[in-house]
Amino acid sequence: MRTSPGAVLLDFRDVHTHYGALHVLKGVSYEIREGEIVSLLGGNASGKSTTMKTVLGLVRPSEGTISFRGEPIHALRTSDIVKRGIAPVPEGRRVFPRMTILENLEMGRYTRRTEPGWDEELDRVFGLFPVLRERRHQLAGTMSGGEQQMLAIGRALMTRPTLLCMDEPSMGLAPRLVEEVFDIIRAINEQGTTIFVIEQNVNMALSVAHRGYVLQMGEVVLTGSAGELLENPLIQKAYLGSGTAATA
Amino acid sequence: MSALGGRLAARLGLERWRALPISRRRQILTPALLGIGLLFPFASGNAGTVDAAANAFTYVLLALGLNIVVGFAGLLDLGYAAFFAIGAYGYGISASGQLKPAWSSLWAPLEWVGQVTRLVVPGQADTVQFHFTFWPMLAVSAIICAIFGMLFGAPTLRLRGDYLAIVTLGFGEIVPVVARNWDGLTNGAQGLGGIRTPRLFGFDFGFSPYPYYFLGLGLVAAAVWISIRLQESRVGRAWMAIREDELAAGAMGVNHVYYKLLAFAMGAAVGGLGGTFYVAKLTTATPDMFTFPVSVMILVMVVLGGLGSIRGVVLAALFVAFLQSVILQDLTEYVHAVGRLVGSPFLQRVELVTSLELIFGLILVLMMIFRREGLWPAVRTVSALTREQQTAAPSRGSTLNLAWARPETAGGPGRPLLEIEGLRKNFGGVAAADDITLTVRAGELVSVIGPNGSGKTTLFNLITGLVAPDSGSVRLEGHEIGGRPSHEIVTAGVARTFQNIRLFNNLSVMENLLVGEHARLQAGVLGAVFRPPRVRREEERAVKSALEAVEMFGNRLLPRIDHPVYGLSYANRRRTEIARAIMTRPKLLLLDEPAAGMNPAETLELMDLIRAFRDLGITIVLIEHKLDVVMDVSDRVVVLDHGVKIAEGTPAQVRSDDRVIEAYLGRPRRAA
Amino acid sequence: MSGLDVFLQQIVNGLALGMMYALLALGFTMVYGIIELINFSHFSVFMTGTFVGLFVLNLMGVTAVSRSLTGFALVGTLVLLFLATMTATGLLGVLIERLCLRPLRNVSGTAPMITTIGVAFILINVMLLTWGPQTQRFPSLLPNWRWPLLGTAEITFKQLVLFVVGLLLMVVLSHLVKRTTLGKAMRATAQDADAARMMGIDVDRVVVLTFFLGSALAGAGSLFFGLYYGFTAYYIGYTTGLRAFTSAVLGGIGSIPGAVLGGLLIGLTQSLGGQLLGVKWTDVIIFSILIIVMVFRPSGLLGVRAPQKA
Repeated sequence: MRTSPGAVLLDFRDVHTHYGALHVLKGVSYEIREGEIVSLLGGNASGKSTTMKTVLGLVRPSEGTISFRGEPIHALRTSDIVKRGIAPVPEGRRVFPRMTILENLEMGRYTRRTEPGWDEELDRVFGLFPVLRERRHQLAGTMSGGEQQMLAIGRALMTRPTLLCMDEPSMGLAPRLVEEVFDIIRAINEQGTTIFVIEQNVNMALSVAHRGYVLQMGEVVLTGSAGELLENPLIQKAYLGSGTAATA
Repeated sequence: MSALGGRLAARLGLERWRALPISRRRQILTPALLGIGLLFPFASGNAGTVDAAANAFTYVLLALGLNIVVGFAGLLDLGYAAFFAIGAYGYGISASGQLKPAWSSLWAPLEWVGQVTRLVVPGQADTVQFHFTFWPMLAVSAIICAIFGMLFGAPTLRLRGDYLAIVTLGFGEIVPVVARNWDGLTNGAQGLGGIRTPRLFGFDFGFSPYPYYFLGLGLVAAAVWISIRLQESRVGRAWMAIREDELAAGAMGVNHVYYKLLAFAMGAAVGGLGGTFYVAKLTTATPDMFTFPVSVMILVMVVLGGLGSIRGVVLAALFVAFLQSVILQDLTEYVHAVGRLVGSPFLQRVELVTSLELIFGLILVLMMIFRREGLWPAVRTVSALTREQQTAAPSRGSTLNLAWARPETAGGPGRPLLEIEGLRKNFGGVAAADDITLTVRAGELVSVIGPNGSGKTTLFNLITGLVAPDSGSVRLEGHEIGGRPSHEIVTAGVARTFQNIRLFNNLSVMENLLVGEHARLQAGVLGAVFRPPRVRREEERAVKSALEAVEMFGNRLLPRIDHPVYGLSYANRRRTEIARAIMTRPKLLLLDEPAAGMNPAETLELMDLIRAFRDLGITIVLIEHKLDVVMDVSDRVVVLDHGVKIAEGTPAQVRSDDRVIEAYLGRPRRAA
Repeated sequence: MSGLDVFLQQIVNGLALGMMYALLALGFTMVYGIIELINFSHFSVFMTGTFVGLFVLNLMGVTAVSRSLTGFALVGTLVLLFLATMTATGLLGVLIERLCLRPLRNVSGTAPMITTIGVAFILINVMLLTWGPQTQRFPSLLPNWRWPLLGTAEITFKQLVLFVVGLLLMVVLSHLVKRTTLGKAMRATAQDADAARMMGIDVDRVVVLTFFLGSALAGAGSLFFGLYYGFTAYYIGYTTGLRAFTSAVLGGIGSIPGAVLGGLLIGLTQSLGGQLLGVKWTDVIIFSILIIVMVFRPSGLLGVRAPQKA
């Protein structure tokens, strides 16, 4: 665990979003510092996926600001936001199904396609996910959910991003695979990438994250270090309603 | 000063007009318009103008017919001229010398009623001469076209908007090609000639435009009347529901196959009337009169006027007709004159008449980009909220009006109402429902919970017929409903709301609710058009039921009952959707996240209402994420994860079940 | 003579025609793959291309009464002609996208398609007003050499040129789409536009590029028409257009190899069908194929996505 966090990388401040007449995010604030793994937790309908989409510019905030490295990004287009060093691993993977693994990785490198470094990054990704090297000419749509998740993460790493944003990486994966994925998340972070993980699976996320925020009905209701949150009985309440104490 | 006064007077007049209810406006407008229509030929004194007007009535008929298909039902038909053609050739062949089949005794009855004559030709076999009477042929034409409408529409039933359009375009191209090449039937490219003109009580219409004008006026008046009656009936509402959201329409009991075919049939029938009328007046019919540009022209009229707007479509059709026959010619001369004035040879050469299609193209592009609703969209009286209504504190409603609920199930769980056994559904290799077995008893309130992607909505879709199960059974009161179409399941007594609210956006609250009543009403096309007392009583009762349903929500929805739902707040949209589901008088009500987007106070109120439903005897299955609330209101809770039922029991049992906690929070991790 | 050589002749004719339909269908299917729009104006762009070609040739001094060319003069003229026309039609396609379709990008339903019908009408009538309703003779650039194949069957130089140029264009397109990064970005956008945005791909620019390429291919197809048939008129967009459209649908709308396969099949259908049933019925056959495919197998022969219910 890092002893002292770095500078603030992503500053999400007082953001409100609407989906038609529905008020989804009601003044959400959080920050991510360099070198950290920060987790955003919450149940269904908490608004956590909207958070990711707002950071990436797929949804525009009606109020509030989002800054990356001090510069506002909330009014930029998605392609411009991504160029600044934020790489997404979208909910549901969203790999390009009728392109091969290699081609998907090439798309991951799109914002740096003219720069040298393709071979190094490719080796690095294959090093993390050997199964991708084996299947590199296979069409992404024919792979299993777990392999697609590896590909989605690998694809995001191809630009050696400053901030990796992962939206529900455990969704639809068997428990053993979920553990593997989170082990990889920790490994990537140790190699120097800051990671923002949005996750429903509290225990898994907090086992690798340094800090966390808990979202409920569009508002942040809890925050703290991973250890603090894991011991906090209110977490279970946030998910399951009042009743028994949390088990952790 | 006087100009200002004039404008003020005009403004006052307009507002006074708008203040009148629609029925009153119609009482004034109908005789006025009819009067103008009847007097016009005498006022104009010019036979050429009357002739142009008579031709224009053809266009109006066609536009009204297409309006039924595109405007009401939302089915984009790009080959509408096909029905124009079938109506035209149908009458043309029957009233000209084109077909000369050999005589046989089969033709004798027709000869007896004066529709055909036996021609004795020396040296050859006797043949039949057709001279069918115009008036019954109008009806026959309409019927034949209706049949073709259903034939051409049938292949499109499962297709999406643009694909539907392409298939209709295909049919629209096939018909003139057949007409051009089937010489025996249609006389090919030369077309039919010598078509008999109509006769009325011995008076032959001949070539004078006046009788055709009045006939056309009558046909248009009838078509307008039928359109208005249909629009404001159960049939019209079903069409508009399909147009707005076919899935939700099915979930309210609208049989989309039947109503789509009906729309095609009625639209085609009106087009056929137009064809018969036109060809009787013209006495010829050639294939070139029915090509794709003609279909486009009719579409232009409907787009210009406003899809679904009867008055818009009539005005636009008249405008386009006069554009073609009168306005452009006058305008061309004007432009030539200007050209001479400024010495521009280009202006002097411009021929606007031949650039009519260019104008059509421009109209389509400009209307789609800038004013998709048309120039004269349908009138909708929306009563603005009074000051008092705007500032009124929301009041709670009561459910005392829901007297139809079943008292015998009120007061506790009874016999099994919904029995699900071994239900499975796979989507692309992932089991969305994996061997689910569940029983819901009458009068219960069961909640279904589970993390994202656990298959809750899929379960609802399987019960309500939106999705067919791969295996397993779903039984309602002992009858199998698995795999049946959704509108049938509604009649069996199941209603639902949707996770992301599926209302008929351009319809008002009242209209949305009335669609909910669809399965319990009976008016068909004839009932809609003629409005016998039975139908009128039915509609009155339906409106009364809708008002009762709205009462549940106090003063939230009532002042907004005529407002289109796209303008309502999220919570009010939710309430409308619930009221609409209640209108079907369900035995089983499935609510998919009804409290989403509501603040705590609204959520509590909603839960009280749901409890009241249960107490009245409606069985409820609820999907909700606000687990506090769920635990409070449910008799039983069922927990799904990855399509599997992992727990079931009372709220207290479920909440402390380790498997449930793990499903939501994840397994506790071994030390990192 | 024996039926075999007649049959063979029809095959050769059909394949030549099929090349033209394939080029048209390609442009159409590429646009559909990216923005799921049925672009009616594509076939009017095709028709406009023939007139642009005429114009370019007139500028170069080649008119309807000029003699055919050979050797370097021929190759040079052809290259210039194709480049100029394809660029012009490409730009026309981009213009249409910018002015008429971009504003409707987020509108669902049939409004965008109706707009393309409007654009098609505008183009047709502008050409009609400018050039008049009579058919225009297209200069016969290519000499009328022929070589016998079997019996009475023969293959003409024109057809050979069409095959070669067509294949060349398809190979170039295939390379572009499969090998270059830009081409892959186009494919990625067609498969998942939001994910493509998340990769930093400028989806708007990809759409513009697709329109340019597709319309340029329509321009190439239009020159095929002019060179092969020797004439053009304002109405050729309808007839050829609907056949090319059927080709795209038959092959699988959104699929590039599908467009080629569909084009060749429809070309063969037209020539063989015309031989067997008579030319006047070929339209009915082709439209029937369109309807049957749409109803029973909407994803076509090679297509991937079946059009869903809304």
